[in-house]
Amino acid sequence: MKQIVTLLIALACGVVQSPASDRVDFVNDVMPVLTKVGCNTGACHGSAAGRGNFKLSLYGGNPQADYEAIVREISGRRINLQKPEESLIILKPTFAIDHGGKFLLDDDDDGTQLLLRWIQEGAEKVTHRELERVEFTPRTYFIEKTDVDVQLRAEAFYADGSSQDVTPWTVFSAEDSSAVRIDKDSAVATPLRGGRHIITARYLDSVAPIEIVIPLSDKPVDLAGQPRRNFIDDEVLSRLATLRLPVSPQADDSTFIRRVSLDLTGRLPEADKVMAYLANQDQNKNGELIDELVQTDAFNEYWSYKLAKWLRMGKDPNDENGIATYRLWLSNQIEKGVGYNEIARTLILATGDTHNIGPANFYRTVDGPREQAEFVSELFMGSRLRCANCHNHPLDKWTQDDYHGLASIFSKIENAQIVRVRASGDVIHPRTREPAVARIPGEYYLKDKTQDGREDLAEWLTAEDNPYFAKAIVNRLWSSLMGRGLVEPVDDMRDTNPATHPKLLNRLAEDFAASGYRLRPMLKRIATSATYARSSNTVPGNAEDDRYYSHALRRPLEAEVLADGISYVLNVPAQYGGKAPGQRAVTLVDLYTPSRTLDILGRCGREESCESETSISGGLTRNLHLLNGELINARISREEGRLARFFDADTAPMDIIDELYLVALSRKPVGATRRFWREQLANVESVEQQQGLLEDFLWSLLASSKFNSK
Amino acid sequence: MKTTRRCDGVTRRDFVRVGGLTALGLGLGNFLGLQRLLAESKAQLIPRAKSCILIWLDGGPSHLESFDPKPDAPREVRGPMASIPTKLNGVRLGECLENTAAIMDKVAIVRSMTSPLGEHNFGTQYMMTGYKPSPALAYPTMGATLAHLRSQMGVLPSNVAVPAFPNQVSGAGYLPGSVSPFSVGGNPGRRSFSVRDLDFYAGLDLARLDRRLEFVNAINAFGDAKDASKSTPTDPDLERAYNLIANPEAKRAFTLSDEPEALRQRYGGLDSGNNIGQSCLLARRLVERGVPFVTVNSNGWDTHQDIIHLKARHAKDKNALLPSLDRAFATLVQDLSDRGMLEETLVVVMGEFGRTPKINSNAGRDHWPNCFSVALAGGGIQGGQVVGSSDALGEFPKERPITPSDLAATIYTLLGIDPATELQTPDGRPVRVTPNGSKIVSELV
Repeated sequence: MKQIVTLLIALACGVVQSPASDRVDFVNDVMPVLTKVGCNTGACHGSAAGRGNFKLSLYGGNPQADYEAIVREISGRRINLQKPEESLIILKPTFAIDHGGKFLLDDDDDGTQLLLRWIQEGAEKVTHRELERVEFTPRTYFIEKTDVDVQLRAEAFYADGSSQDVTPWTVFSAEDSSAVRIDKDSAVATPLRGGRHIITARYLDSVAPIEIVIPLSDKPVDLAGQPRRNFIDDEVLSRLATLRLPVSPQADDSTFIRRVSLDLTGRLPEADKVMAYLANQDQNKNGELIDELVQTDAFNEYWSYKLAKWLRMGKDPNDENGIATYRLWLSNQIEKGVGYNEIARTLILATGDTHNIGPANFYRTVDGPREQAEFVSELFMGSRLRCANCHNHPLDKWTQDDYHGLASIFSKIENAQIVRVRASGDVIHPRTREPAVARIPGEYYLKDKTQDGREDLAEWLTAEDNPYFAKAIVNRLWSSLMGRGLVEPVDDMRDTNPATHPKLLNRLAEDFAASGYRLRPMLKRIATSATYARSSNTVPGNAEDDRYYSHALRRPLEAEVLADGISYVLNVPAQYGGKAPGQRAVTLVDLYTPSRTLDILGRCGREESCESETSISGGLTRNLHLLNGELINARISREEGRLARFFDADTAPMDIIDELYLVALSRKPVGATRRFWREQLANVESVEQQQGLLEDFLWSLLASSKFNSK
Repeated sequence: MKTTRRCDGVTRRDFVRVGGLTALGLGLGNFLGLQRLLAESKAQLIPRAKSCILIWLDGGPSHLESFDPKPDAPREVRGPMASIPTKLNGVRLGECLENTAAIMDKVAIVRSMTSPLGEHNFGTQYMMTGYKPSPALAYPTMGATLAHLRSQMGVLPSNVAVPAFPNQVSGAGYLPGSVSPFSVGGNPGRRSFSVRDLDFYAGLDLARLDRRLEFVNAINAFGDAKDASKSTPTDPDLERAYNLIANPEAKRAFTLSDEPEALRQRYGGLDSGNNIGQSCLLARRLVERGVPFVTVNSNGWDTHQDIIHLKARHAKDKNALLPSLDRAFATLVQDLSDRGMLEETLVVVMGEFGRTPKINSNAGRDHWPNCFSVALAGGGIQGGQVVGSSDALGEFPKERPITPSDLAATIYTLLGIDPATELQTPDGRPVRVTPNGSKIVSELV
């Protein structure tokens, strides 16, 4: 209520308040009109090529250029000082004459009046004050139920100490327009559904998210009795309580050991390990299991593979020497538990012969300084600078100076087999058409041209107070174990795409930095939480939750892990490319080793950073291959295989079923499931029939969704 | 070492938000049935077209070299190619489209398509779904929606891509993964073409596959609780694969060698490297057998350099993109007509946007969504007409601007789906088949 009153007062006093002077301020009064009305959006005059020969900077990022475009271009016909109301800039948006963008402003609209007054006053580039910041309110807002109005507000603060309500000139847009209705004129938001909704507020080129949270049910949930093993559980349960989402119980032991083994080592737990774990009565057996898993060779192999995917290793199939050296170096870092800050630093500063010096291959991943800038920012900052190539980023703080400045840092790198820093090298800034000045994005310029700017970059990136670095990697690690990033997509961290659990992300990042940026402690922290150990079975009321962790998210196995899992259960190795049979898919140095199996199982593409494991080949292709292809059929009855060995040893059929269940799913069939298999076995007579049935059983086990997910 | 044939590296994952597990068919069995039920409660229109063949020109085809030449424009706009008259008085096409020119009485061209989205993925999403892409929801492509709303007639998949769907696009959007397009794979342009894994693996037969399916369902039904649950959820994707394998007649659809050699030559491109002709022939065989939606995907239209390569890449080139398209499209329309199938088969030729009116410094054209063309034939549309027009330079629509949403609404209508039909997202909210405000192009319907 208070907010509404404030706004009314502001409105009553008139929209334009210029304490410094009464003259209309081009930057602070005229530009906001253009932005609010939408003249400078990407679809209209803000597009890179402009529109109808009239180009404005996107969302008013460059007032100087816009002033030139409005006042000087086409011989100043856009402004008519003699007859202001006949200026094109008035006639077009009011649709007095034909306008491609149609009707935007009423003749008596405040915006129209403001434009008119500005022209009447001489259409000069008057600016009384410098905008310092904009405050949008509320930033986060909790309401009990839907269909309640929320007044949104924006206030601009200027360097001279003055301030102004700029709500009428602020664009508020809901990320999901079917979840929140926004009335453009009154800036009132009305949530239509429960959940957490994001509204993006933009005034000139300041953007910020507004978060509205509405419980998903009427009844409070009691989460007091839920287990809490570390701060992760506190944060997650607090969010769930706010949203009134009931939680699923902890997963059973079989599910847990299979999940945590696959997540930490990329391997199915061996049958005897499973039996020992199931029999263990110790309260702390999960902790012990996790401690043990992170010390295995399999952990090193798997996390080398994970990081290799993030580093997009294997880009150049014609240079296997380089890739092999690179992967070996990476495995060593993981094995020794080297901090991720050190890893990043080494990569950024690397030079030398890529056949001998592994990290130098970092500069062979992409070609060109701009591509390198995009890659580095996505990888280490979780930020997409790409948009800022052509214009200041519309949803983020990145400017063209940031983009080309970061690219400039890499402009001297020569990335032939020997990576070196040349004496000179430039990136041309598309706006100034001059060499871009090297720049730490969002921070400061590096004036000394003779220096290798990578030092400054590495220093800044890995400093403890860097706002991006730790969060970017922690979010990826979280996503790997939990099935969804706290920020999603994981390489699109920005203010307007806030984390589902901002405080949790901060605490994880702090925790990560405090333990030396090492992967193992972080992964252990996540894996030991009660949140991680939750069942993926839903309870009434939480089935639709896909982001608040009220239940575990069942996830498909990565293509390589699934392929290795199938080989392991069959006990018959696969062969990839020209490699020795038996090499596991997760250890393939070239991530793009030709393999139809891996493609069909949904291996991620060359151009991707491989966060989501979705099969591109489609369900039918995959299932046709499962049914009639070689993947399983060619190996199921091979003489060295698991099944043939059971037959050789005359193992009882039901025992075979028990063992295969245990190897594939970490559990033995009981109850009705067990009876089902007994009945099946009872229906066949000859040994041959029995073996055929067991083949079919094993095939089905490997084709089941229980097997190919975790 | 770029594998993408488009000029940027933006990938599908940027757009996938919903249904990450659907490729595995996890847990969506009931959901599928429920949605069908909801959808079927809506009134459906009487379809004019039973099927749709979408010839997708991936990368963004130049309207100025194809369906909207500007012979009177300055040289830097006109480009290096000439234009030719057509069967329709006063309507000209690019010089490479001579076969199309001869069947213009059956073809309608929309010359005033307009969209603000000049980036490949965004443009593709918009054209294929009728919705501007949103970070909040992945929309289904037209083929997926059609597959979802039509109950499957036979065992052939309802939504097929030849040879493969553009892999940057999530075909099913928020709908279940089972309606995403089945990419037949391989190269239909080769005589040796076949679809893999349709025939039994050595030693297997239908009875064995039958039992395997039963066992998979039994294993999946066994929950994390200690007992098998009473219901046995089936894996719909696996079942569909099984049904196809079990049906030799349906599988014949993929046997292009059944077609007479002369017809195969007319479609063109056999063993040439350009497979659009044989892909169109396969598409015809599929719609003949009741498949409602086939996407023929042709790559390489992102012509930032050397626009002339659309016509010929070297002296004796007969299989460059435009002549190949011309042969394939014109033969398909004529073939469908000869078989009496044209009235019930809608053929659409389009890409994600047009190209810049001015030739760039690399003798190519860059992305231009503000104005471009789409060609349609069959399916009950009124042929022999040009809808809308572009300005003198092909820069903006001059009259009758038509958005991708309008086009989608029109295609849906022709296929018997009311654009106002509501589908359900996984979290249960209703979403229209095409956006509010999309208008049917009445000249076509």
